[in-house]
Amino acid sequence: MGSVSAKSLEDGSDYKHDPLEGFPNGRKPREIKTTLEEMESARIPLDKRDYCVDYLMKYLGCRSEKYPWVYRCHHEKHEYLHCQYEDYLIRMKEFERNRRLEERAAKNNHHELL
Amino acid sequence: MAALLKKSLLHPVLRNNGVARLQFVRLAGYWNKDWKPGPYPKTDAERIAAAKKYGMLPQDYEPYPDDGLGYGDYPKLPLISNDMKDPLYNWDMPDLKRNYGEPIHTQYDAYVEERLSNARIQYTPMYMLSRFLGIMGAFLAVHLLFEYNDWYLKHPWTPPQLLKEGKTHYTFEPLD
Repeated sequence: MGSVSAKSLEDGSDYKHDPLEGFPNGRKPREIKTTLEEMESARIPLDKRDYCVDYLMKYLGCRSEKYPWVYRCHHEKHEYLHCQYEDYLIRMKEFERNRRLEERAAKNNHHELL
Repeated sequence: MAALLKKSLLHPVLRNNGVARLQFVRLAGYWNKDWKPGPYPKTDAERIAAAKKYGMLPQDYEPYPDDGLGYGDYPKLPLISNDMKDPLYNWDMPDLKRNYGEPIHTQYDAYVEERLSNARIQYTPMYMLSRFLGIMGAFLAVHLLFEYNDWYLKHPWTPPQLLKEGKTHYTFEPLD
């Protein structure tokens, strides 16, 4: 009753600062080719519905075809894990970018107050 | 009494006349004055009488050296733990590997079947230690191998960027 708040369901953008600030040539948006219906049909857990679901779907398909010799899907698995690693890099850079923007904002505030 | 109790709790294995001995302090112990051995035998006649008392031949009988705190005339028997005694011999008490009237060692209760043993050891302590450390080291190595192999993925990162209608996320590559 009190565990799911309306606030968490409709939280705003993931970016506190303007995501395109400081990128003169713009930023490529992340894209996937999988539709929501396909994801729901495959019953993919909610926490895995990120930007690597394409590779995940391919991997799961390969697994269901080659079961019980799932070791033969090592290529698909490696692709999926590589996508996860790239995602880790992006999130790490986002974190660092946010941190530096926060730092700059705090410094600007400090200078304004002085 | 308190000093003896403390000693027994802190030093469970004592060296008593050069023989390792577990100290069993039973607070509800029982002692019978008739069990007290006689004084250290000084004359030959006393030695023969003491040997006869303990059921030993006079040439076998040898009391503990007299240092004022010894065992009186109780004989000094060879220390053989129970697991070294012959299991196939026709003992009077086979489960205890004892005969009736046999004089028993002063530390007998520490060297019964379930307790200490003074058998010749097959492996040296260094060999045993190295084998132990080798096996435990193997376990440790496997644990470290499978548990601490993400040392390069420890940067702080944002929460996961899950898919949502209308939300866009960006990479760090330029538009081209």
